[in-house]
Amino acid sequence: MQGGLKLRVFIEEHPRSAAALFLAAAALLPWLPMGGATDYVVRVATLTLLYMVLAVGLNFVPGFTGLLDLGFVGFYGVGAYTAGLLMVQYNLSFWIALPAAALHSALWGILRAAPTLRLTGDYFAIVTFGFSELVVLVIRNELWLTRGPMGIPGIEAPMLFGYALNRDWEYFYLMLALLFAVVGISRRLEDSRVGRAWFAIREDEIAAEACGIHIARHKTLAFAVSAAIGGAAGAFYAGWFHFLHPDMFKFWESILVLCLIVLGGMGSITGVMLGAAILIPLTEVLRVGLGRLVEWTEQTGLDWISPDIVNARYLIFGLLLVIMMRVRPAGLFPTVGVTFEMHPACERTRRQLDENRYAHETRENRHALD
Amino acid sequence: MDLQYLVDSLSLFFQQFVNGLTVGGVYALIAVGYTMVYGVIELINFAHGEIYMLGAFIAYHLVTVYHVPFFAAVVLTVMLCGLFGILLDRAAYRPLRNAPRLAALITAIGASIFLQNVALIKWGAQIRSFPQTSLPSFFGKTAFQAGDVQIGWLQVFMLLVTFVLMLVLHAIINHTRTGTAMRAIAQDKRTAALMGIHVDRIISFTFAIGSSLGAVAGILVGVFYNALWPTMGYTAGVKAFAAAVLGGIGSVPGAMLGGVVLGVAEVFGAGYISSAYRDGIAYAVMILVILFKPSGILGKSTVQKV
Repeated sequence: MQGGLKLRVFIEEHPRSAAALFLAAAALLPWLPMGGATDYVVRVATLTLLYMVLAVGLNFVPGFTGLLDLGFVGFYGVGAYTAGLLMVQYNLSFWIALPAAALHSALWGILRAAPTLRLTGDYFAIVTFGFSELVVLVIRNELWLTRGPMGIPGIEAPMLFGYALNRDWEYFYLMLALLFAVVGISRRLEDSRVGRAWFAIREDEIAAEACGIHIARHKTLAFAVSAAIGGAAGAFYAGWFHFLHPDMFKFWESILVLCLIVLGGMGSITGVMLGAAILIPLTEVLRVGLGRLVEWTEQTGLDWISPDIVNARYLIFGLLLVIMMRVRPAGLFPTVGVTFEMHPACERTRRQLDENRYAHETRENRHALD
Repeated sequence: MDLQYLVDSLSLFFQQFVNGLTVGGVYALIAVGYTMVYGVIELINFAHGEIYMLGAFIAYHLVTVYHVPFFAAVVLTVMLCGLFGILLDRAAYRPLRNAPRLAALITAIGASIFLQNVALIKWGAQIRSFPQTSLPSFFGKTAFQAGDVQIGWLQVFMLLVTFVLMLVLHAIINHTRTGTAMRAIAQDKRTAALMGIHVDRIISFTFAIGSSLGAVAGILVGVFYNALWPTMGYTAGVKAFAAAVLGGIGSVPGAMLGGVVLGVAEVFGAGYISSAYRDGIAYAVMILVILFKPSGILGKSTVQKV
């Protein structure tokens, strides 16, 4: 994983160049000559960006404060339904629905803090899971509000300067803008006093409290920010997909987003984005590939594989979670100083990163003295 | 008040109560698996619900494909699932025994997703059911009938099986050397090891017992509702976990009690409040218990130490 490390070190040391490079590459993507595949590739890229936003949003809770949140998809669903209903029922603009969705999700994030503040580990995981299940139950059953299993069709496209978005690359750029906003917020928070407090809570809650950190306030803030990002992503999804259904926000989605951040490295913003950049296109490849496999088995009459194998991409995700925890618990692109990394390989990585950072800082200090 | 109305509502109440006991017994069987594993290694075995699901499917497979008689299939399935439990512990959890809690928890979720999808690939997403001819014929007969209240032999059988298994489990835990070793590990793993207890072997045994009971529950539910599907373990698992929390996690009698209480609460909630939120009742109970009495009904409260 030397390559991963180098990439990580590069991004750590030159955050602006890395961001500019990423932006340039992304901006160019819709214009690359790809024959007839352009639309498809751009759609998958938009989906990848959406999951990057979700991963960065989820990262606030397990990554920064060390609590395993299994209910993140609940906020995504709340945001999507808030935006979808505001746009369909009240004919509000997407640009009003988006912040409204983020705020509504954040409100639920804060409300969810009430039963979960005192919990850690397994209990926290299971209560958050229960929360997201309740969200889906409410969406499914409160027909007067959400139309339940009939879903919400006909959500209008977002308008920009009087022009309704309708092409794939337009949504792609919109998503890119959202990602940049979210990553910007995330980075500023990570490097702030609040971020330091979150890390302290993650490392040792009792010690953090003894140092005067207001645990309840900081945890609630992390939940709220995470939920707001999930809600914003949901609103974008509603505007992009024009249709919502309760089944879109099932537990599976939480697991998928969890996979992204586990693969990339919990707590590392760059890491979780890279996790999404690897796993989401891979999911697409698997979806198409397994579909072909089923067609092929049907043609050749090998009937020992059930056609349901196309839906079994999650088998690989499950396996991925188990294997990652075994061999690389801190992820492919680990962050500096996560207690999580008990693995010797991670310890080596950390030492190397520390050395790099030290060298970098001495270099900077020398410049400052000049 | 109209007498007829009173009789009707009373008999409905009684019917609901018996249904609740039946469902609750099944939750108790699953909950015991969670609570025992939690007792010895302090981990929520998220994959436990999947063992329950596999139990139902393996029995189904044995009965339909290999035409094994029902009770023989049950015995075989229970043994196989016990083995699966041991394998799961060896492959997924044992390597992480000394790793941070979060790692073990994520592994548990991964294992659960993996097993669920194995079943999805093998048996498909559609709902299956045991063919009526493969089941013992007395299952379909009515045992008691009084007015509108009707209790089938299947329900009696389920209650009986649950009850007997609970007694056996109680005897194993409290009156055998292995059970004593289990309790010792639950109290203090290191000291137990110093006393000459083979910790890993006892943990394997715990997984085997829990998984076997889960498999029995899976088969009973598969027969009772006449339906099996690959994601059945996921809601049942969470509900049983809620039952374990309700009773006090780590406490075996607590899990039994919690299962029964939750089953009755769920059936009454569905009958008298809203059937659409049937699944929500377990989550609500769980959240309330964690909020107001985290140690549960019979659990011991623990103090967090630095």
